[in-house]
Amino acid sequence: MMATANSISDTQSHSARVATGLLVLLAPMAANELDSVLANLASSFATEGLVVGTPDAFSPESWPGVRFIPTRATNASWTLKAADFIHAYQLAGENEARAILMLGPGSSSLRSSALRDLGNAILSNSAELAVPCYDLPARAGLINSAILYPLTRALFASRVRFPLAVDLGLSLRMAERLALAAQRFAATNQSEALLWPINEAALAGFVTKELDVGPRATPQPAETDINAILASVTGSLFADIDAKAAFWQRPRFLPPPRGPVPFTPSADAAADIAPMLDAFRLAYTNLQEIWSLVLPPNSLLGLKRLYVTDGAEFRMQDGLWARIVFDFLLAYRLRTINRGHLLGALIPLYLAWVASHINITVSGTNPERHIEAVAAAFEADKPYLVSRWRWPDRFNP
Amino acid sequence: MQNILATMLQEAPNQNAGPSYIDNASIWRHMSDALHQSLYRVLSLLIAILPGILAFFVALAIFTVIGMLISAILRRGLAWVKFDDYLARSRGNAEWTPATSPSALIARGSFWVCVLLGLIIGVSAFDASYATAATRPISLLPYLTHSVGAIFLLIAGSLIARFLARSVLIGAVNAHLQYARFLSLGVKWLVLVLTAAMVLDHLEIGGIVAELAFGILFGGIVLTLALAVGLGSRDLVSRSLESHVERSGEHGVVPTNPPATNGSESIRHF
Repeated sequence: MMATANSISDTQSHSARVATGLLVLLAPMAANELDSVLANLASSFATEGLVVGTPDAFSPESWPGVRFIPTRATNASWTLKAADFIHAYQLAGENEARAILMLGPGSSSLRSSALRDLGNAILSNSAELAVPCYDLPARAGLINSAILYPLTRALFASRVRFPLAVDLGLSLRMAERLALAAQRFAATNQSEALLWPINEAALAGFVTKELDVGPRATPQPAETDINAILASVTGSLFADIDAKAAFWQRPRFLPPPRGPVPFTPSADAAADIAPMLDAFRLAYTNLQEIWSLVLPPNSLLGLKRLYVTDGAEFRMQDGLWARIVFDFLLAYRLRTINRGHLLGALIPLYLAWVASHINITVSGTNPERHIEAVAAAFEADKPYLVSRWRWPDRFNP
Repeated sequence: MQNILATMLQEAPNQNAGPSYIDNASIWRHMSDALHQSLYRVLSLLIAILPGILAFFVALAIFTVIGMLISAILRRGLAWVKFDDYLARSRGNAEWTPATSPSALIARGSFWVCVLLGLIIGVSAFDASYATAATRPISLLPYLTHSVGAIFLLIAGSLIARFLARSVLIGAVNAHLQYARFLSLGVKWLVLVLTAAMVLDHLEIGGIVAELAFGILFGGIVLTLALAVGLGSRDLVSRSLESHVERSGEHGVVPTNPPATNGSESIRHF
């Protein structure tokens, strides 16, 4: 995508800048999607204080009152990267905005009320970080449900359901903090690195607000290889947890849930879990040597039981999964084996969890309730992680 | 021995003339002379290389002490300038991170560099004294240095073999290849055979026999792996090529409804 010329901003008079404005940064998108997002924005906010940054070329005359600024052309990404946060903070400073709304690819599927809620949460000063809670299908966002959400909840005491949301509302303070964190990556040529806004907000003591935004068409990675993406996302979260160890080791109280666990209807058709079970069984027969370097005997025994379980009865205990993730996190920290190998060895176990999750939901359990149970198991097992983090050589049955 | 035999032959015509104890005494005298000369030569050599041995240990001790001093100074200096904090701030979550703190790593590294320097200086001092003392060209020392090199080769080869074997094993398992272990073992032995050949070549053992054996073994393993992979993963390669063609067709676009992974259309991992 090509950025529009600077003439777009030149057409707007300087007097149009409003100090209390909202800066909306849009990802590259098709013209019809852009029109849809702009219509939603126009219906949600007063256009006088609105500044919209987009890398796409279009005619701004259709949206009188809205000030458009060109943003740098980037590749559409399925999540926000370090460079995006640096860019957002720079633009906010240049345009004297006091709140930033970052909208990822596919944001045209968001309702206008969702955009209004996210923006107003920051503009009303009720939060420094506004995070959406998407209403996704039962079998979507499974890495988030299996690893990202439970780990973030257990360690950073946050109930935010989508820690790696592609849409965010940021106050100027939060944007500054994220830009600072992103600068460290940019300094080492890692502009494409992932940032974890929830963890940063928790560390800074900022208020985070989660808002129900309804359904959304979530962008997917262009790279379809789950092995590469899972390793990249999990590795990034593990590294962030490692860097913030002094913070999360202290006991923290989890805020009360926002409401009852939402009911997400299970998918009608039974998913074919056979390939995932085959992958797990193949890994069990081949990766024993590597798993035994990372996992304690108790977990290996649990995996052995799973190995001999039939497909329909395949259930991974929540406690076992929590222990597996914690042990991999510990091995990541201790560099027990090469980190690339470690994250590669986690993939078949994750597939086993997915197969188990699908089996549980097919049997009638509310998927959200199962994910909450998994997150609770992570919380309950946190003392184990803290203990082994501090004393890794202690006896571990 | 030839001298002794010659003496015996020269004295053979007179053997009936004198008593037999005279011959025995002559043999014992020659043996004693030979032993004395041999002992003298070894003792002379030892006395000649003794300064070299002492120089080796003195150089090692001095450089170890210097290394300890430099290490301690570096450790304190880096802690004073908060080097670890600076590095932690600047490196982000880079993949390459030391298991211990960077300042400890630098201090330890400087210590071992000094020890290595002491070893090199000590060995060269020993080498100089040995070369001047030894009257015959005995290739003991060069062989020893070759042995050290060979040990390093062996260690490096074993580490690389293990790393590659694990990489291949995990990659093959995640690619759902049934013969993952076989492939991993093949790669491991490929590297180990290569290492063994390099070690033997470095030690100059075996000559052409080692080269031939290596060629046959290496070629055999490669052929076996090629046959196994070629016959066993035709489907995988065709699938991979197909997905590559599909991806190149939609370059730069982030799909919102991704192609299914693991054969299930309704499962979305992200």
